Amino acid sequence: MSSQNIIIIILFVALGTYFLRISGLLLSNRLKKYKYVDSILESIPSTLLIALIVPPVVKEGVVGILASLVVIMVMMKTKNIFLSMSIGVFIIYLSKNSLLF
Amino acid sequence: MKNNMKNGFLSNLPISLSVFSYGAILGITCNTKSIDYLELMLMNIFIFAGSSQFVIADMISSSFGIATIIGTAVLINLRYFLIGTTLNTLFFNRTLKEKLLIMHFVTDESWAITMKNREKDIDVYFLLGGGLCIFSSWLLGTSIGYFSGQFILDPQKYGLDFAFYAVFIAILTTMYKSKNDFYTFLITAIIAISLDYLLNNPVYILISAVLGSLLSLLFVKKKESNE
Repeated sequence: MSSQNIIIIILFVALGTYFLRISGLLLSNRLKKYKYVDSILESIPSTLLIALIVPPVVKEGVVGILASLVVIMVMMKTKNIFLSMSIGVFIIYLSKNSLLF
Repeated sequence: MKNNMKNGFLSNLPISLSVFSYGAILGITCNTKSIDYLELMLMNIFIFAGSSQFVIADMISSSFGIATIIGTAVLINLRYFLIGTTLNTLFFNRTLKEKLLIMHFVTDESWAITMKNREKDIDVYFLLGGGLCIFSSWLLGTSIGYFSGQFILDPQKYGLDFAFYAVFIAILTTMYKSKNDFYTFLITAIIAISLDYLLNNPVYILISAVLGSLLSLLFVKKKESNE
């Protein structure tokens, strides 16, 4: 692809993304007029994260699910995001280098 | 304001290590797919949304048309609309200028860290500080990946691509508050897996989140009627 086309892609995706970032915030006041919207918005952070990560993790197969469970357990015990993440990555590392099973 | 920004920056430091890691993966990808360094930096500065940048880098080397690439990348970022709607109270009484500036630096990571701390005494500058922390590690990670790609070779072999998911799983764990959440989480997960399979299109992220949150209302209502 020519670099001119790449620049066009970057420009439009940048505009679109910025528009989405801004419009969500600016429209939220209007959305709040509807009943139960508050309650829905309250749960959006967690449902959004689930929708974003569960399908790709499941696609990783058994080891992806296993690593995720370990991350959850370490997180509940230690409340340390970095430690939990590192252990999760380490399990995937072991598996990809056939050191796990 | 200064303190809030500093706190936001520091709270995002642990997570920025994972941002750095998959930034490096993107840098390597761009290098192998003939995207030059300037173009990578333009993406970083003006799009600043990791997953869509990955999609662009991937699709550019295939035979997709420009419009398809733009459409897919913007679709992935639809979630920023939802993210924006959750920040309403944090931006309460702020000027339009502050909104227009700070929103550009909102990422999945800094937003999630902000949501995790929302009951504490924080303001929008906590969000901005976090965004700037992620922004710097993203620029650094993609740059190092771009110029040292030949030394790292296959980052996926080291499981670094899993860092992205692991971070969000950890954050999600802190968002789990009650048994109602269990049902909401489970239903959303099932919807997401099915829609991803059926639609094979990133718009599933948005639909699943909205459907999952709508269904969570059922539990809220049930709780209300029990009280």
